[in-house]
Amino acid sequence: MPARKSPAMSREVNLTSALTKRSVKPSDSAQQILALAPVAEVTPRTVTRSPLSKKQKPRQLWLSIYLPALPLEALPNTQAGARVVLEELQGIPRVLQLCHEAHAAGITVGMTLNAALALLPGLQLLQREPAREQLVLRQLAKWAGRYTSFVCLDTKPLLLLEVAGSLRLFGGLKRLRRRLLRELIQQGYTIHLAVAPTPLAATWLAWAGRDTCIEDEQQLHSELSILPLACLDWPVSICESLRGMGISELGDCLRLPRQGFARRFGTERLLQLDRAMGRLPDPRAAHRSVEKFSLNYDLPAELGDSKLLLNVCAVLLQDLQQFLISRQIAVQRVLFDFLHLDIPATPVVLGGVEASHTAEHWLELLRIKLEHLEFPAAVISISLRSGQCQPLSVNSEVLPCITSSEQQSDAAVRQLVERLAARIGHYSVRGITAVAEHRPQYAWRSFYSMGNQTQQCAAAPGYWCCREPIPTLQSNTSLVLRRPLWLLSEVRRLQVQQEQPLYDGCLRLLDGPERLETGWWDENGIARDYYTAVNPRGIHLWIYQEQGAEQRWYLHGIFG
Amino acid sequence: MQGPAGLATGYPKLDQELPGGGWPRNAVTEILLEHYGIGELQLLMPALVRLSNGDEQTRPGWIAWVAPPFQPYPPALSQWGLDISRILITSPNGNSELLWVAEQLLASSAMAAVLLWPESLDGRDSRRLQLAAEKGCCLAIVFRPLRAAAEVSAAALRMQLMPHDLGTDIGILRSRGGRPVVVRDYAG
Repeated sequence: MPARKSPAMSREVNLTSALTKRSVKPSDSAQQILALAPVAEVTPRTVTRSPLSKKQKPRQLWLSIYLPALPLEALPNTQAGARVVLEELQGIPRVLQLCHEAHAAGITVGMTLNAALALLPGLQLLQREPAREQLVLRQLAKWAGRYTSFVCLDTKPLLLLEVAGSLRLFGGLKRLRRRLLRELIQQGYTIHLAVAPTPLAATWLAWAGRDTCIEDEQQLHSELSILPLACLDWPVSICESLRGMGISELGDCLRLPRQGFARRFGTERLLQLDRAMGRLPDPRAAHRSVEKFSLNYDLPAELGDSKLLLNVCAVLLQDLQQFLISRQIAVQRVLFDFLHLDIPATPVVLGGVEASHTAEHWLELLRIKLEHLEFPAAVISISLRSGQCQPLSVNSEVLPCITSSEQQSDAAVRQLVERLAARIGHYSVRGITAVAEHRPQYAWRSFYSMGNQTQQCAAAPGYWCCREPIPTLQSNTSLVLRRPLWLLSEVRRLQVQQEQPLYDGCLRLLDGPERLETGWWDENGIARDYYTAVNPRGIHLWIYQEQGAEQRWYLHGIFG
Repeated sequence: MQGPAGLATGYPKLDQELPGGGWPRNAVTEILLEHYGIGELQLLMPALVRLSNGDEQTRPGWIAWVAPPFQPYPPALSQWGLDISRILITSPNGNSELLWVAEQLLASSAMAAVLLWPESLDGRDSRRLQLAAEKGCCLAIVFRPLRAAAEVSAAALRMQLMPHDLGTDIGILRSRGGRPVVVRDYAG
């Protein structure tokens, strides 16, 4: 290959030659060297862009949804009439939120309970339930997940959605905003919805009740400037002292000298302002919903009929399917609990050979289970939980003529095994495999449809399943000794008459002995002489005589 | 009468006497015996091995064992040449569950052969199994005690195993399109 210098190399050579030409002394500072060097070649290629450069579209766009009336709206609305939510402030219950009817009657926020009742004696009094509010927020976060991959939950009743990546799919910000508004109002929530390039700006705008939509970072300053200080969620003392200085809007704050502001009100406040204005990054943690499905359903009436229960379960399984599909996961186990009054719940565990995400699959298995299940009492409630989740692996659907017949038959066997296991129990359907081991009782094991391979043969840990095919009788008769087709799970002691073992008559030894003396390294070592024997009824048996003092005879297998 | 070709048993002496020259396909065969272990599995093995491994026309098939009296021993099955990865063993609780399982297995078309050891089997059950075997195109082998010979059965083939010192005789009690006959020492 011809030795060709790479551009970088040649540049370096040029540079050094230039330097040598101008005879730079080693004592020259680096700055001077840079000044001497050709400018175009030394300037770094990558230009660091300022985060708010003018022509750029904002890299992030935050949509905040503020639910000011959440304490009231989170509570179930069962009766008609005026309602207020109460919260205790310094030991006195006061009105926290109220509905329109209560407002019309003259009740105001912060009024004591007695005063409110005096105005409207039939007032519905509700206690605030923060846990329920959080639940509603989490549900809304889940709902918002269909519009963006990034949802944050705040401590306030506020959701933050990062929507810059969703705009194209949903046809622009206007349409997305309209759609979110419509859906939230349909769900019955009072909302403020603001859009800004920084999360803090969007939050403040929504808190201030301004449904502003700022797409351009240029407008950020002007729009935020007019916000009152009250919407910043700063401590009252700070707001008071700012007001004392004649500052009532955010814009006034922004005009203050930075150092003095930081010294008086704390660095944190200044950082907050910088983050809101986009001068500093403001990383947020995304909300992640729980990846396990759990659902409790209280039946409207007690049900004892399994057919009707199955219909209810079908609906619950649809929910499960929705949950699984939206996360692209599948489950291998589904656990039902049918709750009764006064007596323990009846559990029903469904297990598949493979993880599945379809409701029909689980419904079919449940149908088989319920067909033969007697409930001890009427069912009052159903709880449905999913087992461990795993990523969904779906084969794309192809025409039946293209799928190989092998795949089809495998799928048929899988379905069959699931059906059988659902009816007669998981441990009643099994496969078998051989294990490379000389001790006959350890030379095999069972495995079950649920995927966990269980060692049937008691002890003897650490043996591997036989990977190489066992030589068949036809191929290598001289080396391989015949094994019986039936093995007894427990060896049977044989009576002995005149040193002849008995089994339904005197046994005649045909073949043997085959000495098996192995396993001395663990506690289950054996030393046996195996024989093939036949009894007067023509049954071929596999028996052994124990080596040692007693020399007892045992039956271990039947040739079948 | 010339029925459909049977599945060769692997024992020429026996094949000669069986209509179709082997085990009747898609039908129930009853094997009556007094004790387990008198060669009832060896009788089946050549045919099962062929089903298990497949041939030019058929793909490798599954073999289901329903309520076997003992544990089928994988090393021995491998020695015979059976593919033990395509064996399904079920142990249902009780006779009615056993029949349900057998029917499911037979009718599913996913199994090549189903061997079952029922506690009892009346004429109606036997008919059900026969229909399921036809539906699923599956070889069904039912092992029953000798006294069942007097009971009504819908099986296409009923045979009786009679071991003696020199080998095992097979008495064909009934075969579809054949006549009762005794095959002396079938393996010899």
